[in-house]
Amino acid sequence: MAEPTPRVKLPRSIEAGVPFTVKTRITHPMHTGERHDSEGALVPRQIINRFVVSYGGEVAISVDLEPAVSADPYIQFQLAVPESGQLEFQWVDDDGSVYSLSKRVEVD
Amino acid sequence: MAPTRRDVLLASASAAAAALIPAGAAQASNGVYQAIDEFTGGALRLEGGVLLDAPEIFDNGGAVPIRVVAEGARRIALFNDGNPNPGVAVFSFGRLVPPEATIRIRLAKSQTVYAVAEMADGTFREASQKIAVTVGGCG
Repeated sequence: MAEPTPRVKLPRSIEAGVPFTVKTRITHPMHTGERHDSEGALVPRQIINRFVVSYGGEVAISVDLEPAVSADPYIQFQLAVPESGQLEFQWVDDDGSVYSLSKRVEVD
Repeated sequence: MAPTRRDVLLASASAAAAALIPAGAAQASNGVYQAIDEFTGGALRLEGGVLLDAPEIFDNGGAVPIRVVAEGARRIALFNDGNPNPGVAVFSFGRLVPPEATIRIRLAKSQTVYAVAEMADGTFREASQKIAVTVGGCG
């Protein structure tokens, strides 16, 4: 499996206290554990099972994911921040790996 | 051609089988009602208060966009009744995030998707929608 690559998109301009859209995606095959490879062997389950976003050390949103989530999991939500700060994203893999991304949010 | 005795017997046998479908269907399901009960602790679910925004027909069952909104919810869970496993995702919202999210999901075949919201007062609300997929997102 290629190393998963996380991506996050924020609007260019953010105002304090006004919700803005956060778009997130990570490249990951999300193996369901139901599929067989070309040799007929079952491909073991390996998914991103948890996604957590924190702002200033406080959990903003967390998501538990099941195999029914598409490959390259895409999650979009709204966020309102009181002031400038650091936005931390974490994706947790079944194999224990944690993929992280950090974004600075500057309010206008 | 007049129906033979055999045709008549077959027809009545399948009619009898059809009458049993509710129980049979519940057994044959992927356990979605049990999964919802686990999420709610068996609490009653009220309709309304949850927006489940999903296409009625979608080409690619491998990536069906689903948006859920439930004003006043602390958690929203998504379930399906036609994949091998009934769970899809559970969103938990902190105070900086309004209870709304969009995600792309896999549907192995045409089926119903459920959104169950746990409200701030501990009650539960539910919305569901049938989604027809042209090409299943095979498991």
